[in-house]
Order: sequence, then structure tokens, then C-alpha cells
Amino acid sequence: MAASKRTTPAVFVLLAIVGIAFVALPLAGLAQRTPWSRAADVLTSDSSVTALRLSLVVATSAALLSLVMGFPVAWVLSRSTFPGRTMVRGLVILPLVMPPVVGGVALLSVFGRRGFLGGPLYDLFGVQLTFTTTAAVLAAAFVSFPLAVLVLEAGLRSLDLRLEDAAATLGGSRWYVLRRVTLPLLAPQMAAGLVLCWARALGEFGATITFAGNLQGRTQTLPLAVFERLQTDPEGAIALSLLLVAVSLAVIVGLRARFLATR
Amino acid sequence: MKRAIVGLACLAMVLTACGSDSGAGSERSEITVLAAASLTAAFTKIGMDFEWDNPNATVRFSFGPSDGLATQILEGAPADVFAPASPKYMDQVQSEGPGVTGRADFARNKLAVIVPSDNPAHIASLDELAKPGVKLVLAAVGVPAGDYAREILANAGIQKEALANVVSNEEDVKGVVQKVLLGEADAGIVYRTDVTPDIASKVRGIAIPDAVNVIATYPIAVVGGSRNASAAEAFVRYVTGPGQATLRSFGFLPPS
Repeated sequence: MAASKRTTPAVFVLLAIVGIAFVALPLAGLAQRTPWSRAADVLTSDSSVTALRLSLVVATSAALLSLVMGFPVAWVLSRSTFPGRTMVRGLVILPLVMPPVVGGVALLSVFGRRGFLGGPLYDLFGVQLTFTTTAAVLAAAFVSFPLAVLVLEAGLRSLDLRLEDAAATLGGSRWYVLRRVTLPLLAPQMAAGLVLCWARALGEFGATITFAGNLQGRTQTLPLAVFERLQTDPEGAIALSLLLVAVSLAVIVGLRARFLATR
Repeated sequence: MKRAIVGLACLAMVLTACGSDSGAGSERSEITVLAAASLTAAFTKIGMDFEWDNPNATVRFSFGPSDGLATQILEGAPADVFAPASPKYMDQVQSEGPGVTGRADFARNKLAVIVPSDNPAHIASLDELAKPGVKLVLAAVGVPAGDYAREILANAGIQKEALANVVSNEEDVKGVVQKVLLGEADAGIVYRTDVTPDIASKVRGIAIPDAVNVIATYPIAVVGGSRNASAAEAFVRYVTGPGQATLRSFGFLPPS
């Protein structure tokens, strides 16, 4: 409240408008080109509804997976020193800069039928991950995982360690301190990480089509459905992308309001 | 305030730098060729030969699914030459899009089943694609290779069983090749010409009987509104002329 009394330099307002327009204009273009008369048909079509449902399942599972796997990594990176820590941090955020298609190929090399984990899995149990919904979740988790680590690590670093120490001094076991002090204090970062991972997972395309393939109801998430439609029916594809935008917007705004009350 | 002015000046410089185009006109003519994914290897070679014979011409290729390329042209993407794997999409550009000139059929192609060299699902013929549990990959509906494949499965009377085995619909025929090449899919239906020398050791082609096979016809034409029509016409002439030998060497059949 107090901060708002200070005036924002006009230049910043101007530059902020440029920044916002950079994102808003393409979206406005999308809305402007949407064939509203056909939109209802496209959005209620069997393939769209199936893709939306699958996308929600995949993005949610991937975000949770990223968070669960990212927490211990963030903990180790923020609270212990070991040689090569910078390297490790660079490594875990690599999926963020890696072209997603390369990520898909990398996943194939591990989990594919000839991969070094997927190979034995297939030979011994006849299980193949490729082309399954699990593969789509893994692909989405692979690209969103770095966001979980980054957000949680920042959160752990900003925690007041004295609160944990106090709990420990009062006789709390390590597990108790983690459960009753650390995790609750970390809730805002958990929520932020979840939203970011979820948003990144929802838009995932390259790793998914490479590693999981494209099959309606199993691996064809909304971005894949949009891409397939774009080849033959660009107008329908635009309507479908608008659905993707609307869903992400609703969740991001909704979750922000719920968990991250902005000051 | 001083800093702000410097900031604005920087922004202005960036913006003007974007706006000013190097207006220097050159003698070189550059053409963009939108071609079916199945033509990737053959056209890349033909493009190099064409540039060798026409030192002032540069050929840029965009390979992809013919339906997607046709959509790009209809949406106004710059294109000088179009070479889809089906007359259907040339018709579309001709009637709904900017139109075409100098249209000619320049090649034909047959389809084949491919399996990884270790053939994990033990497939020896087209009919065996109907076996339960075979992981079959096709090009998506609308992609010529995908439509042809479905036509073949229908001709062979195994449409229902084989389509139930499909685990992925790929964006173009090269996507199908990739999934089989990586050993993830048990089988795919692609063009005979997709089994190029590079990958011949990693995949095995299984011929489809002529009685059920489909012959794909490839048309080529200069796209209406081409800014380099003369170079584009020269390229089309090259493909229908000297380029024929190259197409034969890559396994394409002569136009009927």
C-alpha cells in the first residue's frame, strides 16, 4: 500500500505497455481470427473434448511429478555444499533450454524400447512406455521439472532457518520439523511451482510427439490436436488454441488468487 | 531522467534497425519450394544440381506434409513452387488459393510396409499388420501417405483390425519412418522410396501386393504470385527434365 504512493516513471509505464502489447497483441490476433460461428462445433467435437480431458490429466500429473521429484533436488541444492553443485544446477535446468524435440529423443534413449531402462523393461516384462499416456506425462514432466526446482530452491533459500532451529530445539524430530514447519512455510512456492509446471506441461508439444506419439484419447493432448488440425483446418485450429489459452488463463488466475495473494 | 532518455534512444535505435531493410538489389534469384516430405532426399539432390547449373539461383526447400503445405500456401506463405504427394492438394491450391501455372505430373510412387531390422513383431506381409498387438504407426489422416495407407488397408480388407493397432498418427511420412527407425513401432506404412540407402540397414521394407497397393502421383507447378516466376519455371522444367534421372535413382516411378 505504502509503495503505491511513489510514482512510477512515465518511461517505465510506456515500456510496460510495449511489453504487455508484445504478449497481448498476438492473443488479440488469435481472438480476431477465431471463426466464432464455428467455434462451438469445433470445441464440442469429440476430438477436442477428448484432447482437453487428456491435457488436464497429463498436465496435472506432470506438475505433481515435477514437484515431488523437484523438492529433494531443490533441498540438496539449497542446503548442502558439494563439489560440482553449480554443474548439477545447470544440468537440472537444462530441459528448460533444450529444444523439446531433442528432449523427446533423449527420453526415448532412456525409456524407449531400445533405451537403457526401457529396453530391459520391454525384454523382461513386455512393457513399452512409448505411445502411452504415461509417456506423455513423462515428456511433460521432463520439460516442467526445472521450473519446480528453480522455484522451490528459491523458496528454501528465503526461509528463515531460525524457525526450523526453534522447532528442533523444542524437541521436534527432523520429520516433524519438515512436516509442520518447513513445508507449510514453503506452501506459496509449492503453489507457484505447481502453477508454473502445470502451465508449461499444458503447452508441451515437441517432446510429447517425439516420445509419446499422437493418438486420440491416449497421447493426443490439446497442443497436438491443434497442430494436427492446423494442417487441414487452420480456422478450427485457432478456435482450439483459444480454448487452450482460456483454460491456462483460468487456472493461472484462479490459483494465483487462491494461493498467492498479491500484496 | 537522463537514463530514461538513453533507454528510449536505445529502443528507438532497435526499432529503426528492424524497420530499415537492406534495399540493395541483387542479381541472385531465390525460390522457395514447398515439397512433400517424401521428396526430401531426391529434391535436396535435385536442388543442388539445379544450383550447380544455375549459379545465380538459390533454392530453399520446405519439406512437410502436403496438406499442411497447401494450407500454408492458402494462408499466404511465400511459395514459388509446390510439389505435393497427391493431386488433391495441387487442386486445392489451384482452385481455392493463388492458382498455379505450368502444372505437370513428374513422378509416381508406391507404398510399402517397413519394420525395424530386428522385426520384433515378426511381420512378413501386409496382412500381418492385422495381428493383435502389432504397434502400427501411420501418417495422420489428411497427409497423403496416411490417406493412401488407409486406402491400402481397406483394399486388403484388414482396415478394422489394423487401424485398431495404430499407436500414433504422425505429422508426415518422415515421422512414421523415424518411429520405425528408432525401433519404437513394430511397423509403418510409408513410400517405397523412404527406405533410402542411409537407413536401409536399420529398417526392412516389405512390398505390398500390386492388387491392393496405391500409386501416388506427384504434381509440380509454379505457385501464382511467385516473385521469381522465371526461376521457378526453370526449376519445374529441371524436375520434369534432367531431374528425372535423379528421381529414378531414388526409386520414384516415371509419371504415367
